[in-house]
Amino acid sequence: MALINVAAREIHCKIVYYGPGMCGKTTNLQYIHESVSSDVKGDLLSIATETERTLFFDFLPLDLGKVRGFQTRFHLYTVPGQILYERTRVAVLNGADGVVFVADSDKSKLEENIRSLKELAVNITRQNKKFQEFPIILQYNKRDLPNALPVAVMDKYLNGMNWTRHEAIATTGVGVFDTLKSISRLVISRL
Amino acid sequence: MDPQLTSLIVPTEEVTQIEECLSHLVEDTGGNYALLLDKSGQVIVSQGDGIRQDITALGALIAGTFASSREVAKLLREKDFRMLFQQGVRENIFIALIEEQWILCVIFNKGTHIGLVKVLTKKATDELASVLERVRQQHKARDEVLGSSFRTSMEDTIDLLFKD
Repeated sequence: MALINVAAREIHCKIVYYGPGMCGKTTNLQYIHESVSSDVKGDLLSIATETERTLFFDFLPLDLGKVRGFQTRFHLYTVPGQILYERTRVAVLNGADGVVFVADSDKSKLEENIRSLKELAVNITRQNKKFQEFPIILQYNKRDLPNALPVAVMDKYLNGMNWTRHEAIATTGVGVFDTLKSISRLVISRL
Repeated sequence: MDPQLTSLIVPTEEVTQIEECLSHLVEDTGGNYALLLDKSGQVIVSQGDGIRQDITALGALIAGTFASSREVAKLLREKDFRMLFQQGVRENIFIALIEEQWILCVIFNKGTHIGLVKVLTKKATDELASVLERVRQQHKARDEVLGSSFRTSMEDTIDLLFKD
């Protein structure tokens, strides 16, 4: 739930990047962190294992400055994607205003994508939110893979809800900001 | 609270009350810092010695710790752990849940006794719970607070800042 502090004239929104292991959630945040100007971004905080896999979450605060007199902040989080960390994902998802579901375009990852999306639906419903109405943007990442599934096939299995979706190559930044823009606009429209 | 509610608006008067409550808590316990967070990790009010530069990250991590402990509680067939205590060599953190929405956090050093922090934090959580209740009841319409043109201005800002 977004927080509007009238005294401090501040608005805070929480956006969570969700998806199966190694789909590129952290890479999205790293690219955003490298690319936005320093007066907008805070430090990128990562709680990762020694092998750089996300253990708890990554956290990137973005300060959009004053909009109509309100200091507006977006807090971006990623969840750990590995199956083992299901309960941790529930913890990070707590209080989210919107979700970017990052799907891996690798042909062999379709089942993992589907499983992760189903789990997201369960976890949002468990927070007593209506999944159908929850702000979600899809990102089909790793479009540069030679064995990437056609977009139409991914749509068929992952986008039954007709969410806005973006094709991306997070390592080079393709589609990263389009995704961020879409989810930010969507969250703001639901305030 | 309505789970479909998408924003919680904390009016000026309530923010002032929270600030006073946290100030008293820091003063009476001899602690260094007190924070009130939303369960999503956003800092609502902080009071204490000086300005902490790391407050945003601190909020995210404390809320993460709390949410994580709640999942542990569930595995133990508890609803949640209402209080957490983290002990360091110099600094300690005491964290308490307020209803299901807010998290109160007190940072204190070895000069302060944990028992005192516990008792006074309990008193503060009762006070803050009634503030939270008032915030919920007088929930104002978004447009009343932000103005109707906020969304358009926000979209322009997003387009301007979020680009390669």
